[in-house]
Amino acid sequence: MNSESDIILKVSDLTKSVTLENHILDLLSDINLAVSAGETLAIVGASGSGKTTLLSLLAGLDLPSGGRIELKGQAIHTMDEEQRSAIRAKHVGFIFQQFLLVSSLTALENVMLPAELAQLPNAEQRAKALLEQVDLADRLNHFPSQMSGGEQQRVAIARAFITQPDILFADEPTGNLDSKTGLHITELLFDLNKQNGTTLILVTHDEKLADRCGRKVIVDGGRLVDDSAETLSKLRTVNE
Amino acid sequence: MSNNVWIKQSLRLLGHELRRGELTIIFLAIVLAVATVFSLSGFSHQIQAAILSKSTSFIAADRVFRSSQPIEESILAKSDELGLESALKLEMGSMVFANDKLQLAEISAVGDKYPLRGELLIQNVQGGVKEQKAPKPGQIWVEQKLLDILGITIGENLEVGMAPLEVAGVIKQMPDASFSVFTSGPALILNVKDMPKTELIQPGSRLGYKALFAGESDAIEEFEEWIKPQVNETQRWYDIQSSRSALSASLDSAEQYLTLASMLGIVLAAVAVAVASRRYGQRHQPMVAVFKAMGASQRHITKLYFLHWGLLSAISVGAGLLIGYVLQEIGLNTMQEQFELTTRVSMMEPLVIAIITGVLCSVAFAIAPLKQLVTIKPLAVIRGFEHNTFHYLQMLPAILALYTLLHLFSRDWLKSVVLLGGGALVSIILLVLGQAFVSAGRSVGSKSGRALHLAFANLKRRAKENSVQLVSFTIAIKLLLLIVVIRSDLIGQWQAQLPDNTANRFLINISEQQVDSVNQFMEELAIPGSGLYPVVRGRLTAINQDSVTSDVSKEEDKDPEQQRRGVGRELNLTWRTNLPDNNEIISGQWYSAEEDKAQVSVESGVAERLDINVGDSLGFQIGSENFVVEVTSIRKVDWQSLQPNFFMIFNPQVLSDFPATYISSHFVEPEKVQSFNRFLAQYPTISMIDVEAMIGQLRSVIDQVSLAIEFILVMVVIAGSLVLIAQVQASMEEREREIAILRTLGAKGSLLKNSVLLEFVCLGLVAGLMAGMAMEIAVYFIQTQVFKMSASFHLEYWGIGMVAGATFVGVMGMISCWRLLNMSSVTLIRRTM
Ligand SMILES: Nc1ncnc2c1ncn2[C@@H]1O[C@H](COP(=O)(O)OP(=O)(O)OP(=O)(O)O)[C@@H](O)[C@H]1O
Ligand SMILES: [Mg+2]
Repeated sequence: MNSESDIILKVSDLTKSVTLENHILDLLSDINLAVSAGETLAIVGASGSGKTTLLSLLAGLDLPSGGRIELKGQAIHTMDEEQRSAIRAKHVGFIFQQFLLVSSLTALENVMLPAELAQLPNAEQRAKALLEQVDLADRLNHFPSQMSGGEQQRVAIARAFITQPDILFADEPTGNLDSKTGLHITELLFDLNKQNGTTLILVTHDEKLADRCGRKVIVDGGRLVDDSAETLSKLRTVNE
Repeated sequence: MSNNVWIKQSLRLLGHELRRGELTIIFLAIVLAVATVFSLSGFSHQIQAAILSKSTSFIAADRVFRSSQPIEESILAKSDELGLESALKLEMGSMVFANDKLQLAEISAVGDKYPLRGELLIQNVQGGVKEQKAPKPGQIWVEQKLLDILGITIGENLEVGMAPLEVAGVIKQMPDASFSVFTSGPALILNVKDMPKTELIQPGSRLGYKALFAGESDAIEEFEEWIKPQVNETQRWYDIQSSRSALSASLDSAEQYLTLASMLGIVLAAVAVAVASRRYGQRHQPMVAVFKAMGASQRHITKLYFLHWGLLSAISVGAGLLIGYVLQEIGLNTMQEQFELTTRVSMMEPLVIAIITGVLCSVAFAIAPLKQLVTIKPLAVIRGFEHNTFHYLQMLPAILALYTLLHLFSRDWLKSVVLLGGGALVSIILLVLGQAFVSAGRSVGSKSGRALHLAFANLKRRAKENSVQLVSFTIAIKLLLLIVVIRSDLIGQWQAQLPDNTANRFLINISEQQVDSVNQFMEELAIPGSGLYPVVRGRLTAINQDSVTSDVSKEEDKDPEQQRRGVGRELNLTWRTNLPDNNEIISGQWYSAEEDKAQVSVESGVAERLDINVGDSLGFQIGSENFVVEVTSIRKVDWQSLQPNFFMIFNPQVLSDFPATYISSHFVEPEKVQSFNRFLAQYPTISMIDVEAMIGQLRSVIDQVSLAIEFILVMVVIAGSLVLIAQVQASMEEREREIAILRTLGAKGSLLKNSVLLEFVCLGLVAGLMAGMAMEIAVYFIQTQVFKMSASFHLEYWGIGMVAGATFVGVMGMISCWRLLNMSSVTLIRRTM
């Protein structure tokens, strides 16, 4: 049984809605979720169901309309942009659905970026080591526009790992890759998870990837549908 | 651990961006702004200084105070107090004697510091020509003509009044030599200390007392403020602009033009910076969002961009200064000779103005997009970026900055306000018009071919963006047209003032008996001329039976017209059947030849001063005879025309019985000069005035000023082109995405090319047309208000604007899009993802 202190991320009664011209659109409602440190969690669901929205809230990129999000015991839903930035720099890694490398920086510099922002020492060595791990040792000084989609994705993964984040969010990390590269990336993710004890939260359409995760939750129409009884019971204990 | 990550990141970014050419446009825009301002203001600063010192040489000072009474001590004391230089000059006509011969000479008695401006060139006994100040007491300098007439040489004595003085040199150039058809004789300069000895100053002798002043412009202005209220009707205070030199008007226009063109250059450069920095802001949005998503704080981003932008500005300003300096040197060197730029004025002021321009441009015109940039939300990495959040209020700092720049540069708040206010108004009108054009295109487009349809669809889709684009195209083209039009009008007008056959010789004192042979000679040699004007000396004695002598003479010296010929004193009267060239009837009618009634046509300046209207009767006295004539017309006379001009022109019936001498002006070609002189040698009583040298000087100044204007024109054209390029570039990213989508949807390459070309050509055409209209309005105001010329219409430039706009925008657009258009759809998609 997980104790309260092992919970790295705790979400309760989370809702997110946006106001459109004439009505309010609920993107997420009633989300309750607890993730233990070192856990690997897959979020699956149909396109447009709200997975990316959920992930951006969990990572503190956006603020919820209601409910609570606690990351490493800190209530990030009460924080302003600046405070959340500091939390992200310290604890959070992110792999975006569209990679989002900085086009005017080289691969190496892109990877170094979060380490520099978190003011970690030896950013360059770490970045080089990570790029080597993702087989891009010979592409250090290439700009994103000179790399293929898979290569960019690998740079994004290296970038996400450089700060050795406590928790890593990945939005379809293999979505743009062929199955062989995808597999390679998957291995990398789980290796890094094992080596550093990083909590992994993945959004994926890939059944195989989802199955490798310790747990799987389904988002459907903005609601969380859990497919395991274990999760439900855990949630209950946490909420008591 | 270092806290200076932002510095490292900022430098890294700058390095990459510069190397990959991402910052080229913004760099060029600032460089251009600074280079334009530095070279234009530096250049015109130098040229203006040169022009000014050259033109002030026509009055031998910065300002002149003229009086019919001796100059009061208090005036000189005040000038000393302000640290001005001053010199006294006394002018009079008097007979001089040598070898029992006598000749009327134009005598100038000058103080030791004369001249304060310009060069007094004197040839000494040995034949060497040297620049001199006033002659030593006891010595005089004279014109060669005087020596010839009197039959003496340098070193001999000449009697001026009661004083025998030694001729020590020959005047080769006198900075304030008077030019008048009625000058009393060759010039003679003596030291003012010799004046008492000559005993020429007698009660009743007609003397002109002048005090010449020169110094720092601030001090001069202070002095001017002090003295102006004290100037009474017998005195005059003038500078080169108000002294009636044929040159002054041209110089004034030139100065106005240089300033105006430079101001427009600044506006264009500023627009280019604004356009480029807006694009910069949008281009950097994803990066800032990613930085923030990775945990960068607002402060971090702000510092990073502050440094990034600051360095970019500093590099650009530095490069701009360098380029500006080089351009300016090239410009100045090519004109070294003509402008005699021997002494360079300090470049501090243009330098400071240029730096301020660079800083203001890079800050004021970039602050809105940059602020938007650093405050971008990290969520944007997922939810995308807001484009075109363009508020007109954001323009406020830019407009303020622009005003500051213009003011700084022109020191003329009215001109700055008019330029900006006018510009803003035109922009708003254009924006509305542009949107109308673009939406009108929609309906046209739907009825036309595929490429055209696509082009209009594109225009419509980016309607707001496009109308902003249209406005800057329009403004750029308009300003270019404006500069071109004004330039050709201005230069044309100057050249019209001095046509190739401008009279270069005046003949005076032709007797009645000589008229036929003079006419015959001129005809034989085909020497063009003004025709002979009879001159009868007479006096205006009454207006409508009121005697005017007293109040007329009291007002003498009041203004230049009066000075030329004091009304109430003797006047040169003439009669004539036809209205002379360069005269224009402004009221009444020129008399017809058949009428017998005694009539006179009066010059408008005199008419105004003496309150003479058509229908009044004027009393004149010639010799002992009195007669009355009716005023039947008022004439405007162009005093700058080099021809005999008169205040009073009678119909032949009145004067033809009085004994007259004749005067005329002629254009004598170089090859005819010899025969001309030989002919005159037969008639020693006819005096000839050679103004060839003076015309040459006028021409050379006008040529040089025209050259300066061409230079500034080129700079403004470059500035304008950069705006157009920046604007086309600004739409590139958007366009890239569009083309990618259209390509993947199966649009053929040729269709895309045609539609892109058409889109740009349409934009250029419309911008050119609107620019033509806007230019016409602006030209009207500038011509009538600034240059005081008559307004003219320039329909041909509308066409030029449209053709040039369509061509330039079309070509620029195609060049920028060419690479895109020829890319495979895969590459395009890869790039835009
Ligand atoms: N700001 C917004 N305004 C309106 N609708 C929004 C906004 N943000 C998200 N949505 C909508 O919310 C829904 C969920 O979006 P989200 O990006 O989370 O889907 P997703 O599950 O990640 O889909 P995919 O698998 O395709 O990436 C979508 O229908 C989207 O259009
Ligand atoms: Mg998604």
